[in-house]
This record gives sequence, C-alpha cells and structure tokens, in this order.
Amino acid sequence: MAGIIEIKNVTKEFRVLNRREGLKGSLKDLFSRNYKTVRAVDNVSMSIQQGEIVGYLGPNGAGKSTTIKMMTGVLEPTSGEILVNGCVPYKNRTKNAENIGVVFGQRSQLWWALPLIESFRLLKDIYQISDSGYDEMMKLYGSLVDIEPLLHKPVRQMSLGQRTLSDILAAFLHDPKIVFLDEPTIGLDVSMKAKIRTLIHALNKEKKTTVILTTHDMGDVDALCRRIVIIDHGKMLYDNDIEHLKSFFGSYRTLKVRVDGDLAAQTQQIQGQYPDFSVTCDEQEEWISVLVDEDRQKVLDVLSQLQKTHRIKDMQLEEISTEEVIKKIYEEGVR
Amino acid sequence: MKAKRYLALTRAGVIEALQFRASFIVMVIGNLLYLIVVYFLWKAIYASAGSDVVSGMTFSDTLVYLVLATALFNFMEMYAVWQMGRDIQSGKIVLDLLKPMEYRRYLFWSFTGTFIMQFLFTFLPTFIVVAAVTHGAIPLGINILYFMISVVLAVSINYSIDFFVGTICLYTESIWGINIMKQVIVLLLSGATIPIAFFPEPLKSIVYYLPFQSIYNAPLSLLLDGSPSAEKVLTTLGMQLFWCVAMLIISKAFWKASLRQITVNGG
Repeated sequence: MAGIIEIKNVTKEFRVLNRREGLKGSLKDLFSRNYKTVRAVDNVSMSIQQGEIVGYLGPNGAGKSTTIKMMTGVLEPTSGEILVNGCVPYKNRTKNAENIGVVFGQRSQLWWALPLIESFRLLKDIYQISDSGYDEMMKLYGSLVDIEPLLHKPVRQMSLGQRTLSDILAAFLHDPKIVFLDEPTIGLDVSMKAKIRTLIHALNKEKKTTVILTTHDMGDVDALCRRIVIIDHGKMLYDNDIEHLKSFFGSYRTLKVRVDGDLAAQTQQIQGQYPDFSVTCDEQEEWISVLVDEDRQKVLDVLSQLQKTHRIKDMQLEEISTEEVIKKIYEEGVR
Repeated sequence: MKAKRYLALTRAGVIEALQFRASFIVMVIGNLLYLIVVYFLWKAIYASAGSDVVSGMTFSDTLVYLVLATALFNFMEMYAVWQMGRDIQSGKIVLDLLKPMEYRRYLFWSFTGTFIMQFLFTFLPTFIVVAAVTHGAIPLGINILYFMISVVLAVSINYSIDFFVGTICLYTESIWGINIMKQVIVLLLSGATIPIAFFPEPLKSIVYYLPFQSIYNAPLSLLLDGSPSAEKVLTTLGMQLFWCVAMLIISKAFWKASLRQITVNGG
C-alpha cells in the first residue's frame, strides 16, 4: 500500500561559499566564487503510512530539518522523488499546505499581539475550516487540555510551555493529514512535556493524523513513537520499530556482581567460565560486569551458575535504555 | 469563500493595531515635529527667494502639499521590507510559506488592517484639519474621487516596490542598508519630501517617467487640482495603471524566480 508520504532516494545538496578566515580572507570572499557542495541528505528513502507517529532522530545537523523542509515543499530535492498525499510538495506548495500542519520548535505561527482565540479564528478563515469542523475541534481540544484560560491570553504573554501547546493546537486545527513537529518539547519542564506528549498522542489517535516528530528527547520517543528513523550525516541509519531497535541491542544485558576474594583473580576466573562474553571489572566500585547476550544464555542461568562457584555479596542487572541505544548508533552505526 | 480569508487578515490587523494605542500617539507627535521643521524650512526658502511664487507654487501651496504628502506617507508606508527581512533572517518565513495562500497576497492583506487604522487616525484627521484651516486650498469635488482611485493604484505600486526590495533580502539576508536606500529613493523621487515642481528640468522629465512619482505626486496633484482637465486625469491615472501592472508583474516574477533559487539552493 502506498503511504501518505513516499520518499525515494532523495538527496539534497547545498552550495556553500568556502569562507576564508580573518579580515583578508573575508575581503577575498566578497569576490569569491569558490563554492563547495554539501550533501545534507544522502539517498534517503522511506514510506510512512496514514496514522503513524514516526520519530525522526539524529544528532544536530544530521539533515532532519532539511528532510522535513523537503516534505513540506519549502525545499526542492536535488534528486529523488517525494510524494506527500500523492502530490509533489515543492511543485504544489500552497495546495500541499492545506493538508499539513507544522510546529517548528522555537518559532511560533501565532499572531504575537493577539489573544489565542483570534489566531484560531484567523486560521479558521485561512484554511477555510467549516463552522462545524471548527466547533468539533474546539470541543475536542476542550476535552484534552484546559484551553479556556489560554484562549483569551495574548500569545506574547504566554509562557514557553503554553505557547508550544497553543502552537500544536493551531497546527492540528484544520485537521491536516500530516503534522510535522520539529522539536516540540525543547526547553519545557517535565510536567509540560508530559502534557504535550499526552496531547499529541490523543490527537493522533482521535484524528488518525500522521505525525512526524523530530526530537532529542528520548522521553518523547518512548512515549509516542512506535517507529523510528535515525539519520546522521544525511544518511539513513535505521528505520524500524522501536522494539526491534531495543531487541537489537537489548538482547545484551549487563550483569554486575560483587564477590568475595581478589578482584582481578575472580574476574579472570569468570572470564574463563564464559569465554564468549566480555567480563570487565571496576576496581573502585569492586563490581565485576558480565555483558550477557541473552540470545545465547539467559542472565539468570549465568547468575545461578556463578552462585555455585562464587559467594555473591551483591548483584545488579542493567538494561540498555533507548537513549543508550541511540547513542550507540550515533557513535558506531548499526552493526 | 476565498475573499473571507483576506478580510480575516484585515480584521486581525485592525485588532493588532488597536493593541498598540501608544504607538499612535507617538506617531502623531512625531509627525507634528516633522511638520514644524518643514514649515520653518520652507518659510526660510521662500524668504530667501524673495518672491511669493517659487517654481509655480506659493508658500501655502507647498505647505499643503507637503503636509498631505506626509499624511499619505504615514498611511501608505507599510514597512513590508522590514517585515520580510526580519522573517527571512529569523526563518519565520518558512511558516508563512506554508500557509495555503500565495505569500505575496498573504503579506499584503496582513498589512491592510494597519492601512485602515492609519487612514482613519492619521490621514483623515490631517486632511480635515488642512481643509478647515486653509479654507479651500483643497477643492472638494470630483477630484476627491480621482484622488481615491489614484491612492488605490499608489498603494499597489508602493507594495510592489516594497515586495521587490524585500525579495532582495532573500539573497543578502540583511535589510538595513537596502531598506534605507529604498526609502530615500522613493521619498525623493516620488515628490514626498520636495514637490516635483521644484526639481530642475532634465531631472523633472526623467522622474515623471519613473514609477515613484505615481506613489505620492500623482494622487496629490489630482487632489489639489479643483478642475483637472480630462487629459490630465487620464494621463495621470493611465501612467499609474501602467506602473501598477508593470510593477506587479516584475515583483511577482522576481519573487517566483528567487524563491525557486532558494528552494534549490537552500536558505
């Protein structure tokens, strides 16, 4: 089935001026035609279905925003093909705009000086939302968040959290098929983050809106996304379920034990017992860590075997978190 | 209905303008100061000229012209260049581009609310005061109608020029210098600071064929002429209409080409 967003082998290159350093260099740059080509997005393909929430992750400068700008039609890909809702975004930007909503983290699309309700009324007319559609949406919003005090507050007087919340509501107002959320929880406190996650989740469920979410906050990903796409240096590193990713690395668990006797000798002995697993010791904390691959042997088996040969004073079991997994991928890539 | 979305933008603009009451007062005071300077400057010019009529205009002709030109300037100047420049620099323009409306129109209609407010609170009072104080320096007749048509065309030309200059910001990513240059050129060559009648001969003819005089000189000359000949009305409005269409096409085409450039090369 063709997805609502189809991206095929998309590459985006920018030409940037090679800047020289210093005053002399800057003067030379005035007349320079010395450009270099930077590949911001490199041969990316993905297909996103209606109603999905996709976490689009990558370190800063990985090419996330560039991809999103291409999907919204603000940028034209250098090569490759993008179809959003069946049409090419950069050729039909205005038409495409009717079916998408955007929230760009730090910027607001709301009218700064006006109370929120006026922004909503304006958006209603700009997107030509029907009266019934608008009322229905406002009712839904009312049931999801405490919207009443926000509506009559000028946007410039809002806290960052309130503004972000309002911006998200504004992006969903015309019931778009796709909403792009670019770092929506940046700079927010924990309770506001939770509120916003609940809101996004509810709107996605209620309206079957496809959500593309970029974030650096693993909490967002864990709470919202079933599928994640990871990109770095413009190249796609991973595109699959979040569970798959976890199991990918998650089959590894770290068993930490504290035992009687000489640390180094015991470490060597345990390593001798399990030649396949890496065994390390932490001299300060007196932990011996065994990285167990659960596909080969269950952690508890290892533990019970160890119990027979050693006197275990203390033990700890550590799971790899999504955050660590992502960090591992940023650092080493998918093996 | 499509027209509704434009009116919605106008409405928001009016409400927005009303939020900043203090700025109106400051603007009125600023204008008064400017007009006092103008008054004494031209008084000195006429005194040193030694005759009552300079370049075919009396002192009171000149003053009425300049007062109305200032009022017209306050009403028509929409600072679109600033707005575009700021939005381009901050990247907010992306959000505006993602509205289901043509950006050029979206921006224009966002300004119309301010237009209306400026018209009601600066131009109209000035007009009434000038008409009352001078007892008939402004003829009240068919010329008012010509004036109104002329102003509509002038607004459109002014916006096209602003939009054109604003588009340049896509390349330079700086606004200040370009905007100042534009303002000086427009204000001088349009006859907003010095009536075109005072320009030396070759310059006068050149200026007459440029789009700028259509912004301030054309509507004011129609307004201040009690019984303009049909020929004058037609040539003035015709010239304005020509520039209105020409600048519309030019500014639109330039924007389209530039935007393409940006979407290809990134911004």
